[in-house]
Amino acid sequence: MPLDPVARAAITAALPPDEVVDDPVRTRAYECDGLTGYRVRPEIVLIPRDADGVVRAVRACHRNGVPFVARGAGTGLSGGALPVADGVVISLSRLKSIREIDVENRRAVVDPGVTNLEITAAVAQHGLYYAPDPSSQQVCTIGGNVAENSGGAHCLKYGFTTNHVWSLDVVLPDGSLVTLGGDSAEQQGPDLRGVFLGSEGTLGITTSVTVRLLRTPETVRTLLADFPSVAKAGEVVSDIVAAGIVPAAVEMMDTLAIEAAEEAVHAGYTVGTPAALVVELDGPIEQCDSEFAQVKAICDKHGCTRLHIAGSPEERAAIWRGRKAAFAAVGRISPDYFVQDGVVPRTRLAEVLQRIADMGDEAGLRVANVFHAGDGNLHPLVLYSAAAGETERAEELSGAIAELCVELGGSLSGEHGIGTDKACSMPKMFGEEDLAVMHRVREAFDPTGICNPGKVLPTPRLCGERPGKYRAHPLEEAGVIERL
Amino acid sequence: MLDTAGPVAIVGAGTAADWAGRLGTVHSVLETTGLTGVITHNPGDMTVSVHAGTPLRALQAEVAEHGQHVSFDAARVAAGATVGGLVATADAGPSALVHGSLRDLVIGTTTLLADGSVVRSGGHVIKNVAGFDVSKLLHGSYGTLGVLCEVVLRLHPIPAAVGTVVVECSLGEAARLAHEVLASQLEPTAVEWLSSGRLLVRIDSTEEALPARLERLIALVGGSVSDPWAEHAELTRGRPGEALLRIGTKPSLLPGLLERLPVGTVTAGLGTGVATVSLPVGSVPEAHAALHAAGGTSVLRTRPVSGLDVPAWGPPPSALPVLRAVKQQFDPDRRLGPGRFDPWEI
Repeated sequence: MPLDPVARAAITAALPPDEVVDDPVRTRAYECDGLTGYRVRPEIVLIPRDADGVVRAVRACHRNGVPFVARGAGTGLSGGALPVADGVVISLSRLKSIREIDVENRRAVVDPGVTNLEITAAVAQHGLYYAPDPSSQQVCTIGGNVAENSGGAHCLKYGFTTNHVWSLDVVLPDGSLVTLGGDSAEQQGPDLRGVFLGSEGTLGITTSVTVRLLRTPETVRTLLADFPSVAKAGEVVSDIVAAGIVPAAVEMMDTLAIEAAEEAVHAGYTVGTPAALVVELDGPIEQCDSEFAQVKAICDKHGCTRLHIAGSPEERAAIWRGRKAAFAAVGRISPDYFVQDGVVPRTRLAEVLQRIADMGDEAGLRVANVFHAGDGNLHPLVLYSAAAGETERAEELSGAIAELCVELGGSLSGEHGIGTDKACSMPKMFGEEDLAVMHRVREAFDPTGICNPGKVLPTPRLCGERPGKYRAHPLEEAGVIERL
Repeated sequence: MLDTAGPVAIVGAGTAADWAGRLGTVHSVLETTGLTGVITHNPGDMTVSVHAGTPLRALQAEVAEHGQHVSFDAARVAAGATVGGLVATADAGPSALVHGSLRDLVIGTTTLLADGSVVRSGGHVIKNVAGFDVSKLLHGSYGTLGVLCEVVLRLHPIPAAVGTVVVECSLGEAARLAHEVLASQLEPTAVEWLSSGRLLVRIDSTEEALPARLERLIALVGGSVSDPWAEHAELTRGRPGEALLRIGTKPSLLPGLLERLPVGTVTAGLGTGVATVSLPVGSVPEAHAALHAAGGTSVLRTRPVSGLDVPAWGPPPSALPVLRAVKQQFDPDRRLGPGRFDPWEI
């Protein structure tokens, strides 16, 4: 239904003219997020300067019954910030202040448009840091992290965004402003902060986030180890866990991903090795030393063919550069690719990788694997050529891999979210009653259904449509973000 | 649930029957203590799913055979508290400083609602963002939103070696020392002050590293190594004739609040800002007001007979309309746990 002229006038009048964009050429810049296959041009984009402006924007939408979608940096990979046709986008990009750094209580109060990395940069001088580290952390915003419950490479030990947020100021879909959470782990009643975190922008808009900061560890040890097979590398991960060690990170790459990464950034990985592991430990020196010795012994026991220990912060950075470059680098060995995000119980890693390889063979497509081995979070990259007409097959394979993860007892998504992309797969993981109760949660926050409708939960309208081919996000083309 | 009508109390082991608002009149009692036992435990995945009526201590004993545990140490566990009861009452112990509370350790739940709906959320993997995290709403719900039937928990390795340094000192001195410890890179698992005049700092470690880590800790704060946790657990129960209050605030504000209130027994997490204190029944409203003014939270845990009508909660949070809306969606006939959030009228 086209936007009613009266509603349009009321919404564009809610904020000063320089905070309103409704020219069709300029609103097109907001038509997609990091999942570029889906595009919808919003009717109006509101770019308020402060929390009060967000309240006014939401109220105007609410009064006029017009759907709105909140947007941070637009780096999300599941279409969570995809606009609604004839609806409004509320961009949080101007809410960029770090309001308070409370060193004594190890927390900071930040606006939603502050980037993940800016928080750590601002508090590093006090020996503190913000732990969740999605690989888009240079550009992704904390408001987006809250919406997606973002993880990163270090969440095996340190947890996700939900474990690092004390409280949130939230504009509810009716325009009222509430605080969810509090100053300590003690909450007053049901954990509303917890259900809001990871709700993908469907329950309201965050205008202020109080994040928990951690003391930087005394030492960090990182190693890169090659193995004769993915299965061998998997055994190493199992043995590390069985030894009672919780590494800060355990990442695995297969031969195709290594080849691509090396070609792109020359980080010192061994081209041709079937599998490589990155293991990182951190903590007090004595603790780290004793655990690191154990990890090295475990690597040797399982036939490690090369062990490289980072001898300096630069060498550590190089190892991580190789790991983080893998996604974008795949563009060097394939004209097109889909990024998948699924989770399996860690003990089923070898099995899922074999199944993925078999499925790839069957589809006649190559799949590169990069994953957070410690927590079973896979990022298979399905390589294809649109020019050769492989798009549909690749898309089917990618979707089948996510659903395979569910079949093996895992999840449709470990960190990229459900958004638009996987809403139609939700019935593979949840039953009708589960989804109906999730819908009730949504109704409690948004009874009129205007806040980011069509995301997370499947709808018949949505599930009849198909996405287009992957196109690089402008930020990705500029080399600012990676697909992870 | 569907075979009964009227208000229902959900009861686990009964170790927190008095906590939060006083239970109103109920027509039925639904006991979860028959829902026991581990459903699946795959040691390699470090997750376990369990029926919610299982006492946590029984679960701990079972997974301990594999060198694993739920990183959770609320004192009530020793009294037989069930997994579901601990989640519903949002209980936590000293190691919440590092491991968080059960809201951080629960990765999935299956819950029965008043209308007979059964909802699963989360799953069996620690990293999972699919769907709304309905489990979070059950944490701290005090039996007012649904009956937890199954809970999936993340496990951690049992630390190979644990040591606690005890320093005899006043609260003021403890606050200063806690600041030093938390600013260091010694990574304590718990930092608690007891009203018996002792600061406890716990280190979880490998065998090899523990002696050196404790030595560095003692060099920083003094004191000596001992095992004072039984005393800690005892103090969290308060004392006869007094009310027991659970409070939470910014850690820096906690010592000042404790000094201003007429507290009896105290266990205070100087890194978490969470404390359990006893105080005269007549002082409970004053304590609620003081905590609210400081931006903190407070909830009554137990009340003596002389204080049956003392308010369990302070002023309501700004999100009260959302709490009411959630209740309306989950339990529109208001059957579950009447009175638990009085005086808020949720």
